[in-house]
Amino acid sequence: MFYVAAALVSLLGLADAIYLTVEHISGRSVRCMILSGCSEVLSSPYATIRGVPLALIGAASYFMAFSLATLAAFGYHLAAKLLIALVTLMFLTTLWLLYLQAFVIGSFCQFCLLSAALTLILTALVAIALRQKLPPDKVFD
Amino acid sequence: MKRYLPFVIIILVLVVALGAGWYLTRTPAESPAASTAPSAARSSASPTANRSASNEPGALPPHTIGPPDAPVTLEEFGDFECPPCALLHPVLKTMEREFGPRLQVIFREFPLVPTHPHALAAARAAEAAGLQRKFWEMHDLLYENQKAWHDAFDVRPIFESYATRIGLDLEQFRKDNTNEIVERRIFLDGKRAHALGVKGTPTVFLNGREVPFESLAPEKLRVLINVELAGAQK
Repeated sequence: MFYVAAALVSLLGLADAIYLTVEHISGRSVRCMILSGCSEVLSSPYATIRGVPLALIGAASYFMAFSLATLAAFGYHLAAKLLIALVTLMFLTTLWLLYLQAFVIGSFCQFCLLSAALTLILTALVAIALRQKLPPDKVFD
Repeated sequence: MKRYLPFVIIILVLVVALGAGWYLTRTPAESPAASTAPSAARSSASPTANRSASNEPGALPPHTIGPPDAPVTLEEFGDFECPPCALLHPVLKTMEREFGPRLQVIFREFPLVPTHPHALAAARAAEAAGLQRKFWEMHDLLYENQKAWHDAFDVRPIFESYATRIGLDLEQFRKDNTNEIVERRIFLDGKRAHALGVKGTPTVFLNGREVPFESLAPEKLRVLINVELAGAQK
């Protein structure tokens, strides 16, 4: 059940990350907007790693998380284990990105914060699921 | 069947995600190209078909550089605290230099108040300088020194030092910061911004048509201005 929730949260994260990737690539986000604030975050040097938009890496991560959570929900034990590793990595990355926004760039971007919130929820869900006993592994049935 | 179901779901999501990403990155890239071609033709056919002839004229008279009868008008909706606006500032300066009397540049106040805490104070400072006929001098200083006051707690002494630097009557400048005319000008420019559907800064209108953000680079803006000039000569 928690894996289904984790899959749905990952889907939201995926949509958010796709939006951010498009904003980044199209350059629209470089304008200051009435509602979403400025672009300091997306136009900062931290928004890319070797030219690859961080948002794109985020989208790939959320897609992976969605895939693993879906497989885990169907009873694949290996997927559940990989999901723990992936979500731990995403959680640590999120903490780093929040630190960058708060103390280095000095401004937040709303859709980045949404992503951070979703990763925190995802971490909580996976942590709870970890405490639950897994159903019998489907791979060997 | 149930064995394959998770994989079917995953592949479905992948296809939808890639499709959405592809669709969203494609549309904005195509629209400016599609809109510039017919617009050039339209401007030569009927120069009066101008969106800047909106019902909301904005503050009158507007702050302008260049002759009012110039064939090309660039109207910027700007916020002095917005970093991309500060980046656009030297670009517009270059255009003013290159096109001289053929180009008129208009500045409209569009302070993004919740986003930028000092934007309104900066707009007031510029308008107050405008009452002493030094709007553009203050405008330039605010944009060029944005980083110096952006993070300041109290911007008033900084703006007052700019006022002194450009030779304003400091007492008058202080009083004018809360002048009704200053408030009214900012309000009227804001009304015009809303009427034109301006949602962010910088937003630039070239002879009444919005210039896509990615075309605000000097080499692209130069081409667009030349197209308008060519249209005006016919």
